[in-house]
Amino acid sequence: MRPGDSMARRLRISGILVILGLLVEALCLVWSRPIAFVVLVCIGGALIGLGVLVFLYSLVSSAPHTAHSSAAIHEKK
Amino acid sequence: MPTIAIVILILFSAVLAGVIVLRPAITASSAGKILAFGVLFFLPVFSLVAGMENEMRRSESTAFCLSCHIMEPYGKSLHIDDPSYLAGAHYQNHRVPADEACYTCHTDYAMFGTFKAKLGGLRHLYIYYLGTPPLAQDIKLYKPFNNRECLHCHLGARSFEQGATHNADPATLPAMKANTLSCISSGCHDVVHNVGRWGGKVKFWDGGS
Repeated sequence: MRPGDSMARRLRISGILVILGLLVEALCLVWSRPIAFVVLVCIGGALIGLGVLVFLYSLVSSAPHTAHSSAAIHEKK
Repeated sequence: MPTIAIVILILFSAVLAGVIVLRPAITASSAGKILAFGVLFFLPVFSLVAGMENEMRRSESTAFCLSCHIMEPYGKSLHIDDPSYLAGAHYQNHRVPADEACYTCHTDYAMFGTFKAKLGGLRHLYIYYLGTPPLAQDIKLYKPFNNRECLHCHLGARSFEQGATHNADPATLPAMKANTLSCISSGCHDVVHNVGRWGGKVKFWDGGS
């Protein structure tokens, strides 16, 4: 699997988690019941938090610049 | 931030996140990376914080407290047409904000009062959904009502400081201010909600919000 594919897969997972979390949050905001706050925090918050973490992980785990690519950048300069 | 604005923001964020899910390749460009950061980090976190803040504010409303059916008699007590009923008299005369009537009297006006009230609310939720809720008339305060909650508004008010009953005995006012003589259990203002003890005698005021 190429690094780009893995990054795209993580972005997709992150996006799906964030979308689900946002939809749960939207439902809780229009659902005026006391339990809505708990659902918002425990389910919506968890999904959004997880989505954000997967996104951040996809950033730090993307392929770093190698010595070769750095040299190529310097040569261009 | 109004609820409708937050919901629109959430739906907008979800649509943008959908674009990233369907076309992750757009994040290859600098603009795409900025979009991804905004859509998968900034907007969800902002929406979550705004949503939680909105829910916290809503949890202070009278309608929120009365949305558990166990509290319905307490809501009805706010409409009793009898000035000797303390809660009703405060609600009907807007001595407390009508849309935050429960919270105004039942929050603790100390440093962590709001936090304690929210924790208490979570405990109520647990009992309501997972425990055995008591009958409305059996609901009791966790601890005796502190005069501090009354004095938050009444301290310094002419009707309180110079009221004939409050000054009939020179020891009364200092004792109330020191919370050694309770406002509501001293035989003075002891008719508050009185749920379960109305009989067929009470009339209800049909005004208010």
